[in-house]
Amino acid sequence: MEEKDDNYYIEKVIAGQTSYFSYVVEKYQDVVFSIALKVLKNREDAEEMAQESFVKAFKSLHTFQRKAKFSTWLYRITYNTCISETRKKKQYFASTDEVQISDEVEEMNFDGIPAENREKYIKAALAKLQEDEYTLVLLYYFEDQSVEDISKVTGLSGSNVKVKLYRARKKLYVILNEMLKEDVYSIL
Amino acid sequence: MKTFEQDKELKQLLKSVKLESPGVDFSAGVMNRVFAEQSALEKAKQQPLFGKGFWVIFSLFVALIIVVVLLSGEGSAVAKVPDFFPGADVDAALSGYRLLLHRLSNLPAGIAGILFGASLLILLENFLETRHHAVR
Repeated sequence: MEEKDDNYYIEKVIAGQTSYFSYVVEKYQDVVFSIALKVLKNREDAEEMAQESFVKAFKSLHTFQRKAKFSTWLYRITYNTCISETRKKKQYFASTDEVQISDEVEEMNFDGIPAENREKYIKAALAKLQEDEYTLVLLYYFEDQSVEDISKVTGLSGSNVKVKLYRARKKLYVILNEMLKEDVYSIL
Repeated sequence: MKTFEQDKELKQLLKSVKLESPGVDFSAGVMNRVFAEQSALEKAKQQPLFGKGFWVIFSLFVALIIVVVLLSGEGSAVAKVPDFFPGADVDAALSGYRLLLHRLSNLPAGIAGILFGASLLILLENFLETRHHAVR
């Protein structure tokens, strides 16, 4: 079946055909949940806040002006909902082990990562990123969002998004390199 | 080192990773809440802007205004009361009414202002809430 544009479903929902909202939920639930999980750090809270984000989006669907992509608008709701929740619970971002980033981070040869372990490595490396860095990486690399869109989601300036993306990418390389070295040492 | 925009390899690698998924009943849970919101909205649309209580108070207020108008016009409506009710002590009723008005007029204007303002705010809140539900 031909996949319709988000606006098609949004129009249907606004026109009163509420069940069309399930297409939107199915399409975006993984990204919304991943953002919530990274910020809130446990699955139960993340599911609750992801659900809350979708309900908020539904309730204010009539205010969505289509100037930005629907996904950008939805992720902004998600990000803000999760950040507000952490503030409500006075749960501050616990800094993950700070990774030292030197200026001379070597280029990464991804072929060095065994294909069967690639997903495991990447997930472990992503887990070590901080909440804001993870969200930027997720939106930029997974979701193909532009720097401008990410800026709208996170409320950061465009230049700040670029700097953070640059640092997050470097950090990912450092983490992956360290994991690979550890594995090589353990084999030897 | 490549810039983050040029790093197509990293993008490809990251995209090959499957994101975390919520539980299997997540979508159904969201839709249940969405339908509940929808039915709450329908209910709110059907509710009249002003409830029963408002109309009771409003009727009492209108009745009070009518009484005030009738009693303040000395020699008109009041004068005709003994014709309809021969035993009625109009003078006693009038003096009681004047005493009430006198006491009311001694109340500080601030209290009246506060009561009036509070009534207006309650009315405004009621109106905005109904409108908010209707727009949704």
